[in-house]
Amino acid sequence: MEIITKTNITKDKLIAEFESSKNSLFGDLKLREAAAEAFSKQGIPNRKSEEYKYVNVELLLKGDHSFSSSKKLSSQQIGSTQFLKDAIVIVIENGVYNKEHSRINPLPQGLQIFNIAEANSNETFQKHFSKYSDIKSDPFIALNGALASGGVFIHVAKSAVIVTPVHIIHITSVSEATILNSRNLVVVDENAQLKIVESYEIIDSSVKCFNNALTEIAVEVNAIVDHYKIQNEKEFGNLISTTQVLQKKQSHFSTHTFTLSGSFVRNNLNMVLDDQFIESHLNGLYLTNGTQVVDNHTLVDHRKPNCNSNELYKGIIEDKSSATFNGKIYVRKDAQKTNAFQSNKNILLSDDGTINTKPQLEIYADDVKCSHGTSTGKLDADKIFYLRARGLSEISAKKLLMHAFASEVVDTVKIEALREYIEAEISKRFE
Amino acid sequence: MANEILEDQIGGEYKYGFVTDIEADNAPKGLNEDIIRFISKKKNEPEWMLEYRLKAFRYWLTLEEPRWAHVSYTKPNFQDIIYYSAPKPKVQLNSLDEVDPELLKTFEKLGISIEEQKRLSGVESRIAVDIVMDSVSVKTTFKETLSEKGIIFCSFGEAVQEHPELIKKYMGSVVPYTDNFYAALNSAVFTDGSFCYIPKGVRCPMELSTYFRINASGTGQFERTLIIADEGGYVSYLEGCTAPMRDENQLHAAVVEIVTHKNAEVKYSTVQNWYPGDKEGKGGIFNFVTKRGICLEDNSKISWTQVETGSAVTWKYPSVILKGDNSVGEFYSVAVTNNYQQADTGTKMMHLGKNTRSTIISKGISAGFSNNSYRGLVRIAKGASNARNFSQCDSLLMGDKCGAHTFPYIEIKDKSAVVEHEATTSKIGEDQLFYCKQRGIDNEKAIGLIVNGYCKEVLNKLPMEFAVEAQKLLAVSLEGSVG
Repeated sequence: MEIITKTNITKDKLIAEFESSKNSLFGDLKLREAAAEAFSKQGIPNRKSEEYKYVNVELLLKGDHSFSSSKKLSSQQIGSTQFLKDAIVIVIENGVYNKEHSRINPLPQGLQIFNIAEANSNETFQKHFSKYSDIKSDPFIALNGALASGGVFIHVAKSAVIVTPVHIIHITSVSEATILNSRNLVVVDENAQLKIVESYEIIDSSVKCFNNALTEIAVEVNAIVDHYKIQNEKEFGNLISTTQVLQKKQSHFSTHTFTLSGSFVRNNLNMVLDDQFIESHLNGLYLTNGTQVVDNHTLVDHRKPNCNSNELYKGIIEDKSSATFNGKIYVRKDAQKTNAFQSNKNILLSDDGTINTKPQLEIYADDVKCSHGTSTGKLDADKIFYLRARGLSEISAKKLLMHAFASEVVDTVKIEALREYIEAEISKRFE
Repeated sequence: MANEILEDQIGGEYKYGFVTDIEADNAPKGLNEDIIRFISKKKNEPEWMLEYRLKAFRYWLTLEEPRWAHVSYTKPNFQDIIYYSAPKPKVQLNSLDEVDPELLKTFEKLGISIEEQKRLSGVESRIAVDIVMDSVSVKTTFKETLSEKGIIFCSFGEAVQEHPELIKKYMGSVVPYTDNFYAALNSAVFTDGSFCYIPKGVRCPMELSTYFRINASGTGQFERTLIIADEGGYVSYLEGCTAPMRDENQLHAAVVEIVTHKNAEVKYSTVQNWYPGDKEGKGGIFNFVTKRGICLEDNSKISWTQVETGSAVTWKYPSVILKGDNSVGEFYSVAVTNNYQQADTGTKMMHLGKNTRSTIISKGISAGFSNNSYRGLVRIAKGASNARNFSQCDSLLMGDKCGAHTFPYIEIKDKSAVVEHEATTSKIGEDQLFYCKQRGIDNEKAIGLIVNGYCKEVLNKLPMEFAVEAQKLLAVSLEGSVG
């Protein structure tokens, strides 16, 4: 009974925050009210909710929170998070777009970046905003819909090929426990191409921070989008990161999620393949230690025939940390000739770690090739022996094997500077 | 092309849909404490049994019907079911001659002629059968032969009277009445079932079998099976089920418990062929069953094999708790759904002891408008070192209006565990059909051949007599279905 009461307090607190701030928030108030209502209906998921079975979100939202932070960061501090030297940099500071710190001049032709709070009059924005994420499907999508504080709207015009990667840095720096709701919209028009990197960092903070980030991506006909998420929020970060993707005909989308640190990370990756001849790649790597909780949920919705999707998630679990993978593949009635593959591999290094995995297929079409595989195990003793016989110490043999295990995912990164950064971070982790 | 052939063949008829005209002794419809007292009194049960039933019933009242399975159906009206139906006349039967000839005819129609088996006894196929009709055990064969070895094989009701110490010790130890909605219901209203005890060091010389049949209209079947294999014991146990064709949905909510002690082994095979409803999805049995075994002590083994072709809605997860060190759990399943059937079935393997191993092989076949789901859990607890699991669940889709789904849950808390899971979904290849046809095998036979090949890994695990029946059953289910 006690838990239920607490949940209501937390839920009421969030709804009260919406009521008191709704007139100062940007955008369409009606959309926000509908989202608030949807959130109120769903409530905060507890362990009985199938989708949040393995994580205790209630606990994270307990206590007092503020919903914004006035703490300002120096350009030096922000500079420390810009690991891509050659990139268009967008800084989202405490859930709000910070233009001064961003590096957006000059922008290549065909690429436009707007503050999401000022984009409401834009026609493309209106056409796409809030159209893909379903507020009824998840309470945190609804919460973001109600309380979104800021972010950017990125538009790549028809046939524009943007070679330089766009790097969105979500920096959080707070002095009291805070709940942030940042929101981005990316629209890549016909025949256009874009590489986009989203990174999440917390600096100069020593209190619990909860970030409920939502990114919607529309990939139009023939467009090619390469998407990366680097999550490195250290011990105070609690992150719910939702990525909602809609793909149109013959488009190509690949996404790569690297979870390097953060006390709690939940990724909701929802892909809708809404036309024929689409290709999608979903890759993920999570390295957990301490008492970290990482939960990756992916949903690939094959709605039309002749599409391919390919999914690979790998994890190394240490100490008392726990990792969850839940991959869903839907193949709808019309989606004949679908090829959908999914693979989840884990290495458990400690006796106190936990791995939960649930690869799920729901198939309603008969002419399809679908498979999933998952394996969990330890480092292969034979391989360790092989390396030790060649003079490596046990520790370096293990490190080498873990690197090799991770590299299958790291190798899918197409931006060289990013790959080097991730490799360096992984090396640091295995020290 | 292949689809057309498949569709042509959809329309296989249920072959066990007869009703036997036997006068039955029914309880009034509905469920309350009086009905439970009525059942208990009818069965002449001791006080502690009634107490257990009432406790379960009171707990059941606090529960809500579960809805998480990937199936949809109208909720059964629990007040509209007859909870006790016994074929009349019910007397103690000593020889087959005393059995109601109508009943014997039923068994003949079912294809299990007891007489024939009696004749064959001691020759080759020796199976002891306990027949449960409308939840009351009507006949147990070969009782004397078995009792020479110290094996107890009788109806549950008899065991309550004659072996109360065993029932008290083991009943509810694997599936407590608090386990789930239907287990609680069963614990409150179960009417009969089978009981089997294999004493220390005894290898049961014959297959034991229970045949379940729902006959009377408006009844639910709630039987309970309890199998105990003491140290070093071994038994292979078979279960078969059929029901007449009726427009209404009848409820079958059984509980099966298995306990194995040190070095003991139980092999449990099911061929489930309850009436699946007609082609429009009308009628059919709701099969909501809780089956669980526990490898209580070291080096023991429990193996579940099931061939599921019947029932309108199936909701069943035969599970194994691997408590003893070095214990082994196995689950082999073929689930076929056709027309509007729905199945949500799978297993749970709970690894608690050291060096425990489990294997899961599940083959789903869906045809017509049916939905077939595999739902399984593999849990490796902390301290269950060197646990090993291999799971494979394959789905075969026949036609484009059916669905095949997999929901595997894997939870691992021990670093030395090695767990693998694989799943594939596919259809019968046109090239495979072409190959068969080119060699003069007609469509229907070709499909039967391919499906049997696809299920072979599981069918091989069935005892000989059942394997033959299962193969035929697959062909029948797929004839007209798709397969």
